[in-house]
Amino acid sequence: MDKDEIQQERRGFLKQFGATMGAAGLGAAGLGVAGSRPVHAAAPKGSIPNRPVKVGHITFLTGAAELLGGPGQRGHILAQEEINAQGGLLGKRKIETIFADEAAGTDSNVKELRRMKLSEKIDLFTGVISSGNTPALGPVAEELRVLTLFNDGCTDFLFDKAVPNPKYTFRATNIQSADGVTAAIGAATHWPKVRRIASIQPDYSYGRNVFEHAALALGKMLGGIEVVSESWPKLGTTDFTSHITKILSAKPDLLLVGVWGGDYVAFYKQALRYGLFDKMKVATTLAFGGYPHAIGKDHPEGVLAGVHANYHFLYPSAERWPINKSFVERYHKRWNEYPSFEADGAYTSLYLYKQAVEKANQLVGGWPEDEAIITMLEGAGIDSPAGYLYIRADNHQGYKDAVTGLSKNLPGYDFPVWDPASVVSIPIRSITAPPNWPKPGQGHNESTAAADWIKKTWPQAKA
Amino acid sequence: MEILVIQVLNSLFYAAVLFLIAAGLSLIFGVMGIVNMAHGSFYALGAYVTAWSVAAAAAVIPPAALFIFLPLGAIAAAVIGMAIEPSLLRRFYRRPEEYQLLVTFGLLLVLEDTIRLVWGGTPRTASGLVDSLGLLQIGGLPYPVYNLAMIGVGIAAALGLWAFVYRTKFGVLLRATAQDRRMAAALGIDVGRIYSLAFGLGCFMAGLAGAIVVPSQAAVLGMGVEVIVLSFVVVVIGGLGSLEGALVGALIVSALRTITIQFWEEIELAALYLIAAIVLLILPTGLFGKKA
Repeated sequence: MDKDEIQQERRGFLKQFGATMGAAGLGAAGLGVAGSRPVHAAAPKGSIPNRPVKVGHITFLTGAAELLGGPGQRGHILAQEEINAQGGLLGKRKIETIFADEAAGTDSNVKELRRMKLSEKIDLFTGVISSGNTPALGPVAEELRVLTLFNDGCTDFLFDKAVPNPKYTFRATNIQSADGVTAAIGAATHWPKVRRIASIQPDYSYGRNVFEHAALALGKMLGGIEVVSESWPKLGTTDFTSHITKILSAKPDLLLVGVWGGDYVAFYKQALRYGLFDKMKVATTLAFGGYPHAIGKDHPEGVLAGVHANYHFLYPSAERWPINKSFVERYHKRWNEYPSFEADGAYTSLYLYKQAVEKANQLVGGWPEDEAIITMLEGAGIDSPAGYLYIRADNHQGYKDAVTGLSKNLPGYDFPVWDPASVVSIPIRSITAPPNWPKPGQGHNESTAAADWIKKTWPQAKA
Repeated sequence: MEILVIQVLNSLFYAAVLFLIAAGLSLIFGVMGIVNMAHGSFYALGAYVTAWSVAAAAAVIPPAALFIFLPLGAIAAAVIGMAIEPSLLRRFYRRPEEYQLLVTFGLLLVLEDTIRLVWGGTPRTASGLVDSLGLLQIGGLPYPVYNLAMIGVGIAAALGLWAFVYRTKFGVLLRATAQDRRMAAALGIDVGRIYSLAFGLGCFMAGLAGAIVVPSQAAVLGMGVEVIVLSFVVVVIGGLGSLEGALVGALIVSALRTITIQFWEEIELAALYLIAAIVLLILPTGLFGKKA
């Protein structure tokens, strides 16, 4: 395949998904509300009590996953401080947050949510990063009738199976299957010649989901792919030398990496010294998932550096999306670091709640009941730092355009960022099952609605 | 072929790390009779101190000379261990095991949070040390010379520890105290000092393991918890309290881990626990453990 053919194939993939490459295409979809947050709507109606709104926030505060949880907590605090500085929600009710450590484990998280609701009387529950935890917490949130905005924990399983008819539970970041599919589209766009695929994923639901959907999408797009090696290190592994040697022995063209957090830092350091990056293309889902400065300048360039298909702080670009520029400046001023996708997710979640409360207040007056807030959240849209985010009414899941790009060291940052020309932005509806697509168990037995949708509707490329 | 050679080296490197941790764990149990749940945190401490000191000195010292900071992590772990033993742990030697487990588990949590408080959540690295030694080509595949050197450190540490315990006067006192504390005390041995030094030595080994790991990987939060589980598998197989057991156990666990990763990764942990269970069934005190 010569260069022209690659160009042609690349254009084909981009066209197929309505995706764009290069910074110019980003931030297209949106309501176009410029300027810094927040844009005040009308004055609150009715009498608002001035007692605080209590929020419970569980995220990783310790362990290797603090790399993701820390920015989530800081994004939440930034939003809370901004809202409180204007007098609180509806100008009256300040936000008070109780934090708890997600690293305590699923059972403890469930107990903590119960405690937060029953003895602390929280009005809103947010946070949660692990896909192992949201399916346990979702049903409990429904049972306790506590309004819940998960920031992540994005497994398809949550709204496919664990809480198939959510009322109180929402999630503000992209669905998990989109992560593997985004990595696949990024890889196929940049390297349409790859056929021999290897994979290294953490051995739990997230890694399984990434590998399944990425391999499925690559197979559909490229045709005739062969999975030559699978590695499943358990979460928390730091010695990857045996996995790396095994991958090298399989001689793949492309390695799919879903390893994340501190594990990824340890992985890339070892892979670098074992020459892995010289021998194959590497597509990750979460290389840039922690706080940006966690990755050193020694990280190789030209690696597809995923952000969980959600957000990188340089995109949408400052010119196209001033909301992001202003958010990054305020976040950097407050925390002296750049935000990650978890920071955006937690920050936007709280503003989503604020927006729903304000809209409900305009309709009913006074402090709105949860039912009224829920009605306003269903189908809600918000201009978030990451672009336009909307919450689908049928499954309470958030959708925003997915992004990924190739790592590059640019002047001005002491950590790698994306090569602006390489950034791929994909309209989210091109890679997620449409509303009311049958869930697993409803006429198909795929692991997710997305997998069934991809299998049935995506065109199959010839080998 | 080159894959086989590299996998054997990978396995030996990991075995060296596991041995250093498990030997310390075993030594502390052998002398004081406590199972130290916080042992992995001393490993993490060694990693963080080494990474931090190497990073701080990297600006002024040439990379090759940075190796003088490698033992610093081990020394720091030993010093902190020797402060904790008399002030906290000594009160629990006469209590039942569950108290010891609780207090050392509590210590683990305190140390983990202290590390986070001091060094934050950003992974710390010292990759300069690996790069300064360069790469070896094994059949066209690069292999870091650093890893080879650290396998050497592991072997040297094993020999050194053996000589220390079996060929020095302090070793005699240590073994006497381990065998019969009351008799040792009656013969005029300062048992308290032996305890502190033994605990410090055990922590030194764990800290050394962290120090040699950090240049090739990274110091991350939670690393101590991850490694302590496998170290317990090592001492269960080898026999708690036995240095030979720690060595053989580390080699078995590391080899089995590498083999399962290469051929059938899903059973990695299951295979390790299965071997541990079989050893427990046939030899309840482990391969080299003393018969009760």
